[in-house]
Amino acid sequence: MTPEQHALHEAAMQAFLAKKKYKAAVRRQKDEEEANLGMTSLMDIVSILVIYLLKSYASDPVVINPTAGQKIPFSSADASIQDGMPVFVTVRGITFQDQKVVTMTSDGEVDPSMVQNHLIGPLFDAFSEEADKAKQMSENRGVEWEGRLIVVGDQSLKFSTLIDVLFTAGRAEFKEYTFCVIRKG
Amino acid sequence: MAKRPRKKTEEKVVEANLLPVMNIMFLLIPALLMAMEFASMAAINVSPPKFSSAPSEPTEEKKEQEKPLDLKVFIMDDGYRVEASGQQEGADAGKSADSSKPTIGLAKSGAPDTDYDRYDYAALEAKAKEYKALFPNDTTVKISAESNVPMQVVIWTMDAVSGRDCKIGKFMKGTEEIPDNCYFWQPIIEGGAG
Repeated sequence: MTPEQHALHEAAMQAFLAKKKYKAAVRRQKDEEEANLGMTSLMDIVSILVIYLLKSYASDPVVINPTAGQKIPFSSADASIQDGMPVFVTVRGITFQDQKVVTMTSDGEVDPSMVQNHLIGPLFDAFSEEADKAKQMSENRGVEWEGRLIVVGDQSLKFSTLIDVLFTAGRAEFKEYTFCVIRKG
Repeated sequence: MAKRPRKKTEEKVVEANLLPVMNIMFLLIPALLMAMEFASMAAINVSPPKFSSAPSEPTEEKKEQEKPLDLKVFIMDDGYRVEASGQQEGADAGKSADSSKPTIGLAKSGAPDTDYDRYDYAALEAKAKEYKALFPNDTTVKISAESNVPMQVVIWTMDAVSGRDCKIGKFMKGTEEIPDNCYFWQPIIEGGAG
């Protein structure tokens, strides 16, 4: 490289560095831009979601949440569920008021020691207690107690167990029975 | 007079603050999810045997004209036994009931108990339709089953005798009359068929 060429290269290098310095200074002086989150698209998604959930909102007075592993029977019936006390009867056990009252045997039947002439002892106690409470509340409100029991059964539940539950409910002064089913179609 | 040139004014675009709305929306989502119905539930009202099967108080004249049907359906291992006015249909002559053969046999004979389609629901529905034509005012049916019959079969039997296209939801709300395709839609559960 000749001395002229070296001088030219040095000058170009200095010019480049000066320009870079200037750009950095300009950048430093500039106000920081505020990052705006695009809300419109998010709003659209959320609105659609809310409308969908509102449409599938359970309007029945009783919300039935089946117990784990329970398969509720299907039916073509379309009558809506009226207010009442749900009892969950599966092949594993009987749950009433969020408490497992009876545990079934491996055959899916109520333990014979708990049943006496169709009456399931522990279930009768639980039914009677709740029926008394409900009657008292209805009396205080000045309305008649309907005594409706919603039987949330299992597809494979044996008829004999179903009869025992209904018989026990009848003895505990429940007057009306409703079978909870999943609407077909 | 010469028109004064209009001053150009810059219209400012005001963006709505969506954050409070979003906050409400996000609170609504879990609340609605909690109350969401994942499967559409329905109810079948059943009566215990102690209630009268007559839909209304019959007059003396009516009593003479019409004997109650007293329809009973027994769900057995080998099919349905259908009984009307104390007489099983298909029973041998001189017998009111016959345990040797069902009125309606199985649709899938030899199928396991867990196959809920093994019963002939279509034939039972046709039988219910026949009886309904003879007794248009009767709406109750007594249903009984053998002890090991699964609940799904009992429910589908109730559907068949009431008519599988029968929709009584609006009738229950009091907005509509009972449809013509509803046969015996008031089931009474009875124990001790076998």
